Amino acid sequence: METNLNHILIFKTNIDQLSTKCALSEALGKQTGISQWSIDHEDCDRVLRIVSETLSNQEIISFINAHGFECEELL
Amino acid sequence: MRTRNADKEKLVIEKAIELIVSDGFEGFSMNKLARLCNISVATLYIYYQHKDDLIKKIGSEIGTAFFAHTLKDFSADMPFPQGLKKQWENRISFSLQNPKIVECFEIIRHSPHGEQILQTAVRPFKQIMADFFTNAVDNKELQPLPIEVFWSVAYGPLYSLLRFHSEGKSMGGKPFSLTDEYTNQALELVLKALKP
Repeated sequence: METNLNHILIFKTNIDQLSTKCALSEALGKQTGISQWSIDHEDCDRVLRIVSETLSNQEIISFINAHGFECEELL
Repeated sequence: MRTRNADKEKLVIEKAIELIVSDGFEGFSMNKLARLCNISVATLYIYYQHKDDLIKKIGSEIGTAFFAHTLKDFSADMPFPQGLKKQWENRISFSLQNPKIVECFEIIRHSPHGEQILQTAVRPFKQIMADFFTNAVDNKELQPLPIEVFWSVAYGPLYSLLRFHSEGKSMGGKPFSLTDEYTNQALELVLKALKP
């Protein structure tokens, strides 16, 4: 099924290479409301892309901040 | 409300191809692409998860277009000389109509994603070409040869001529442009060489 574009949230972060076992990737995987996530580590803005039907930009930002990383909406 | 904009997606693919050709796989970035398309980086990330995702999607799109073009009016049970002639014609017309796309596909092919892209795009095409080869051998129209030797003899001359043509010159800088006469001459020799 094609993703509804309104459910895609894009952020600029400082998240460097994540291992599959680290706390943040586990948390992102477990977080209810996040159906898909990816980070472009090659990009200077370490762009985080979240697909969520329920969460708001602010909720994602607080979630990432709580794990010790910077995160702001990429405009 | 965001909606999928087909024109914008087309523009992104077009510009991405240009950027890969001019800056290479390593020099390509989402930022540069967004600037070229006059859209925000965030918009680009809505359509594609990351650079690799974009390159993979473009690679399979080009691959699929190339293979579809190559199979136009062609079938695996054609007599070998006609079939090979059709392959040459289709490959020539695709190269001449889409020089940038061909160049871009070569770059992506040699990138770390090359193998994976080829695997997906090539699959249906590979079977038809393999059947064409086997039928020709069974019908005694073609010498049984290792597939690599067959490919080199059957298409090597064509790709050499196309390279001369795209560079506009041949050995020693002699101006060159591909004509039907050159193509037919080379194809005749190839058919003669491959006959049992």
